[in-house]
Amino acid sequence: MLSALIFVPLLGAVLIGFLPFGIDAKLTRRIALFFAGITFFWTVILLVQFDPRQINQQFTEFLPWIDVIGWNYHLGVDGLSLPLLVLNALLNCIAISSTDADIRRPRFYYSLLLILNAGVAGAFVAQDLLLFFLFYEIELVPLYLLIAIWGGQRRGYAATKFLIYTAISGIIILASFLGLVWLSGSKTFALSTLHTNYLSLETQILLLLGILIGFGIKMPLVPFHTWLPDAHVEASTPVSVLLAGVLLKLGTYGILRFGMNLLPQAWSYVAPTLATWAVVSVLYGASCAIAQKDMKQMVAYSSIGHMGYILLGAAASTPLSILGTVLQMISHGLISALMFLLVGIVYKKTGSRNLDIIRGLLNPERGMPITGSLMVLAVMASAGIPGMVGFIAEFIVFRGSFSVYPVQTLLCMVGTGLTAVYFLLLTNNAFFGRLSPQVSNLPRVSWSERFPAIVLAIFIVIFGIQPNWLAKWTEPTTTAMVDTYSTVATVTLVKAKGKS
Amino acid sequence: MVSITSKTDPYIERLEAGGALLPDSPENVLEVVGILKSYGVVLDAYWRNLLYIAENQFLVFFPFFKYFNGDTSWKRLLRHWWHDRINFEYAEYCMRTMLWHGGGGLDAYLDSVEFQESADAVIQAKFKNNPLILGLNQLFPNFLLEQLRVSAYYSGLGQFWRVMAEIFLTLSDLYDQGKIKSIPDVVDHIKAGLVANANNPITYTVKIQDKAYELIPSSAGLTFLADTAVPYVEAVFFRGTPFHGTVSYNAQAYQIPPDQARFQYGALYADPLPIGGAGIPPTLLMQDMRHYLPEYLHEQYRRSPRGEDDLRVQICISFQKSMFCVTTAAILGLMPYPLNTSNPDERKANRAYLEKWMSRFTVSRLSAVNN
Repeated sequence: MLSALIFVPLLGAVLIGFLPFGIDAKLTRRIALFFAGITFFWTVILLVQFDPRQINQQFTEFLPWIDVIGWNYHLGVDGLSLPLLVLNALLNCIAISSTDADIRRPRFYYSLLLILNAGVAGAFVAQDLLLFFLFYEIELVPLYLLIAIWGGQRRGYAATKFLIYTAISGIIILASFLGLVWLSGSKTFALSTLHTNYLSLETQILLLLGILIGFGIKMPLVPFHTWLPDAHVEASTPVSVLLAGVLLKLGTYGILRFGMNLLPQAWSYVAPTLATWAVVSVLYGASCAIAQKDMKQMVAYSSIGHMGYILLGAAASTPLSILGTVLQMISHGLISALMFLLVGIVYKKTGSRNLDIIRGLLNPERGMPITGSLMVLAVMASAGIPGMVGFIAEFIVFRGSFSVYPVQTLLCMVGTGLTAVYFLLLTNNAFFGRLSPQVSNLPRVSWSERFPAIVLAIFIVIFGIQPNWLAKWTEPTTTAMVDTYSTVATVTLVKAKGKS
Repeated sequence: MVSITSKTDPYIERLEAGGALLPDSPENVLEVVGILKSYGVVLDAYWRNLLYIAENQFLVFFPFFKYFNGDTSWKRLLRHWWHDRINFEYAEYCMRTMLWHGGGGLDAYLDSVEFQESADAVIQAKFKNNPLILGLNQLFPNFLLEQLRVSAYYSGLGQFWRVMAEIFLTLSDLYDQGKIKSIPDVVDHIKAGLVANANNPITYTVKIQDKAYELIPSSAGLTFLADTAVPYVEAVFFRGTPFHGTVSYNAQAYQIPPDQARFQYGALYADPLPIGGAGIPPTLLMQDMRHYLPEYLHEQYRRSPRGEDDLRVQICISFQKSMFCVTTAAILGLMPYPLNTSNPDERKANRAYLEKWMSRFTVSRLSAVNN
């Protein structure tokens, strides 16, 4: 069943690639949307059939591949990866439907989007380290091309920077994975058979450092973040939606799955540092966001800040905080995707994202009142206003982390206040006041342009009001992860005390 | 620093050359004539209602059915509740603007002893079987008198708009016949209408039990141009327009001058774009006019970047253009000497007259409609 999530979009990509040259871009979009829709529908079926009470991997698929090196085609899904799979499928549909109807080279573009979808889905379901790495690298190529070909004026620079950073991230991750397998004496790259308890703490810390840096670049965490604002600013709107919505989650997913899960002893050792690192990311991201004049750059820096909350929750490693990190991943995926969609609409209609130029877009007659209202909703959600998914995710992270790292948690809470500050600046500048003369004759926003944003807004509100519908898929898995982690961490503590 | 004169010189020269405040272009002609046609239809409904209220609803304390023009059928009531109706409130707001700013002979006459005596006769006749009201009238003698002053303004504005509606609808007919081809043609037509009706008497008579009471007799000497048209232009075009939601001012922050005569919030100054968040209603007049747009103008609006999304803003912009034509007609109609005079002294006087007018346009939307 899980293979379909990889091969249906891949099949779509191949089919679209073989469509006749010069085919109508709208038709190509419809075909791409059809395959993305099937993938989304398939994830919904998985969601329905998934048993949240089971903590083991479900719908597992195993196919021996290269026995000599212990590399197998091994897939599975649990409460950590399932919500991310659904998010990936949903945002892919959103990205395709929000693409310009008359985009250049449509066959290539939509093929790349579908390959990206397949790569990310593969990474989330891979139960083999090398398989994960393969999918992790697969998504790199289409994303690089999507930025480099359909990006803004400085797309070459941004795409190359992204490529370099992510390639380095991949090398570090691969080195850490190889170290994990070879040093632990495992004969395969299967996640389920890896045991690191026998490794020395120093070795574990070294391996964890590799994983943290590798996935920290992808998240991204300060100071490995500089590729993200450039990539976002230069990427087209649908690519930004996927980049912020799902691709950053590969980083957070990797840190939880391979950092905390595989190296719990080292994790417990470095956790206080990670919590402080989270604070730095949150406050730095928020401070940079305040200084921005480009709406997209502001949202990009906001992402950097919000990723810090996930690191804080992961560092605290309590049942509640880990549940919070998963909710925050979904919450950020929905909210940032919505924001990038809306900023994209503003840019498309006004030709600018500069907060010194655009004003009064909430104007009921000549502005974009529905887009503006959705932006106000997104801003409120991002700032953690109750009633929306952002609040519940951040609240659970803070509630779960406070008992372990009270100071760091309080400092991260300051970050939510700063989020309100920069997003108030954004809405106040761009949406309130009189329409500036430069943008007083805007073309209308069609319902087809609004529709993807409205879908995301509905999810944001529904999960804000009824977070159980989201948490119930995840909670048993995250609780089990913490139980395992706590047991190992306690043993480490006892051993450390015994030695002293 | 740019002086007022240097800013307005091009407009003065254009006026002296027989042009208008609005530049001449086929698009402007289409817009102005089209919008004045819909305005004419709406004004026609407004003046009928204003005169109905003045003549039939005077001294009625709770005039629930004042917008029904005597037709209080269920069908009419349901249409009213369904808001499928003309916004007569706009006409009342204009009337109140005139009343508040005053000016002209009508304002002066309503403070005269003669009017007070006529009003007293009306009050006595209206409430002759109502000792309670007559008693209250003794206690508060200005209350009912003020009600009749308001009614007189209903009548005055109704009479003014009766003429203007006719002028605008005739203009549209002439345009349809191909006789109006330029903005100066539009201005000439309006000016001719104003001049032709300049000395029409403004009177106000009410009937109580078949007996007529002249509140403003023809002997008062009030005329169309000097006593209704000019005060209307001053009040609504220059000082304050009832365009809802266009801009708000804070008196406590001294954004409003203490002197009423220095007010510059009229139709010629109003920003057509509503300010602030969603939900501020556009002016009632634009809502009314959109129902009566001629097809050629409606089609032009549909072809704009926003189509019909910002229809009321587009109507407002066109309306503002048309009001600059009406203002041009009023300015030219009141010129002290003929425009083509060759007498240097008269030309100098004309120039001084135009400069005085133009000094009032420095912060208006004149430059906006010219770009």
